[in-house]
Amino acid sequence: MLSIMPNIEDKTRPRISGLSRGARILRGLSLVIPATVLALMFLTAIFADLAWIGLPDVGLSPYHPNDQVLKERRLPPAFIEGGSTEHLLGTDNLGRDVLSRVIHGARVSLSVSLLVIFITATIGTILGITAGYLGGRIEGFIMRVVDVALSFPGLILALLLATIIGPGYMTVVIALSALGWAGYARLTRGESLRIRQSDFVAQARVNGASTSRIMLRHIFPNVLNSLIVIMTLAVGMMILAESMLSYLGIGISAPTASWGSMVADGRNDLDRAWWISTFPGIAIGAVVMSGNFLGDWIRDKMDPRLRQL
Amino acid sequence: MSKILLQVEDLCTSFFTRAGEFKAVDGISFYVHEGETFGLVGESACGKTVTGLSILRLLPEPAGRIVGGKIILDGTNLMELSKKEMRAYRGKMISMILQDPMTSLNPVYTVGNQIGESVRLHQGLRDDKVEDEVISALRLLRIPAPEMRIRDYPFQMSGGMRQRVVGSIAMSCRPRLLIADEPTTALDATIQAQYIALFKDIQKQTDVAIIFITHDFGVVANICQRVAVMYAGKIVETAATSTIFKAPKHPYTSALIHSVPRLDRKDDRLYSIEGQPPSLLDLPPGCRFAPRCPDVQEICHKQQPPIVEISDGHSVSCWKVK
Repeated sequence: MLSIMPNIEDKTRPRISGLSRGARILRGLSLVIPATVLALMFLTAIFADLAWIGLPDVGLSPYHPNDQVLKERRLPPAFIEGGSTEHLLGTDNLGRDVLSRVIHGARVSLSVSLLVIFITATIGTILGITAGYLGGRIEGFIMRVVDVALSFPGLILALLLATIIGPGYMTVVIALSALGWAGYARLTRGESLRIRQSDFVAQARVNGASTSRIMLRHIFPNVLNSLIVIMTLAVGMMILAESMLSYLGIGISAPTASWGSMVADGRNDLDRAWWISTFPGIAIGAVVMSGNFLGDWIRDKMDPRLRQL
Repeated sequence: MSKILLQVEDLCTSFFTRAGEFKAVDGISFYVHEGETFGLVGESACGKTVTGLSILRLLPEPAGRIVGGKIILDGTNLMELSKKEMRAYRGKMISMILQDPMTSLNPVYTVGNQIGESVRLHQGLRDDKVEDEVISALRLLRIPAPEMRIRDYPFQMSGGMRQRVVGSIAMSCRPRLLIADEPTTALDATIQAQYIALFKDIQKQTDVAIIFITHDFGVVANICQRVAVMYAGKIVETAATSTIFKAPKHPYTSALIHSVPRLDRKDDRLYSIEGQPPSLLDLPPGCRFAPRCPDVQEICHKQQPPIVEISDGHSVSCWKVK
């Protein structure tokens, strides 16, 4: 039998990519830059100080983030007039070093957002795929809970939790996770409903695959693309949500630095000392954008169609 | 003739909806020999696919249910198996090629991975052994250079090639029975002819029994040894292919054969059967073909005709034949 196919034995021929040289470089940069930014942010958070191995005085941050020098309030950053190299990014309204606080703030902001995203995405995806694939009463039950979670005011729940277990790091994580999973559940349930109808799922059933196997091996990988996009978008939202809760006094309490609370603190000084809010804001922006770009890149890599370009 | 592999007895499958009970398959019986190709022919919605899915016990739940009958494969009544036991039969003993093989492949896995899934599920082999099985399954379907092809994704393959990959998945565990649900409908005529030739060849190599579901009598003539003609959930006539073509006894069968366009005869118009098949919700009390039958008698409207075996292996359900 004849078949019309390219000679696939011929591997010596150089692979001709569908992308131009410029496009390939851009594509490479879209991995390298965000990955570098995120890696630096994480390293900064880890090495802000070495208190965790018993060396509180050694670390990246030039000062202790909570040290106040009231004589040196609202000093501008080094690169504008009146600034000094003592405080590279200036000081805030209590004379604390902004750079040190941005460096330390990375810990709270990054860990809260990653932890919350991990928890919510895991719970939401498991429930969403189960609901979408199994259908029936299980779906009805899960989706009604989702409806409740989506319509429940998150702030009230957070305040309630704060009164019950007291403000703090875990309160923020629980408050953001308690309702956050519903969005993931709704997304993955919709996708699973669509994928459930595909012939390849029917084929898997014909081949004798079990329900859990189909959900894990056939539905989940096909849901992953949309999931990753939503997860990367959530990075920014979680950082902001954490700052909002901290601002309300539910989250991380006052002297401890987090990017969100720093932005909130500097709000009243925006006209005379813009640097207090701006630098943590830039940090948030850099993380969020890097997360989104990296998410796009991962999504492209997951799609076999785009992988080989 | 060789041993009987599959015996379906009085199978009834219904769909329960708000509008009522759809008797998609209403008491059909047939058997398939080992290594034989058995055709299941009929127009759309006559219950061919539902029959195939019933044998695998994969009806869309909760609406679809097998309400009666026996499906005996090699001495085991599949209706009595637990869900888990049934799962072990699927893919290993019975396989099915679905109606649209173009979308039967998962876009995120390589072809080798997908064929390997079934092998892993049923044979519990180590990874290096799995690859050998996968390659031999691809070779069985005559896919060139299978060693390279296993690393390809479905989108990198042509339609005809994907079709054969689906065939490889179905054949990967060397099942005893293969249900092919209109596998050639989505293909053009040349590829179709190749694919059928391939099926014959596979059958010679592996001695698999095939239930070939189709609406195309041309395909039936080409590949099937015996045929059952279905109409509105019932089998109206079963016979060897040559008998069906030479001497069809049921008016519906002969009407179907007449409606196939032929090159060796000059007809101005293609023959067509008047009217529509009856609604499965509201079936006539008598013969289901009666409202459209050219030779209808009074009794046809009142009573269902019995199935009569008029010669060895040729049975008809019609009042005209007694």
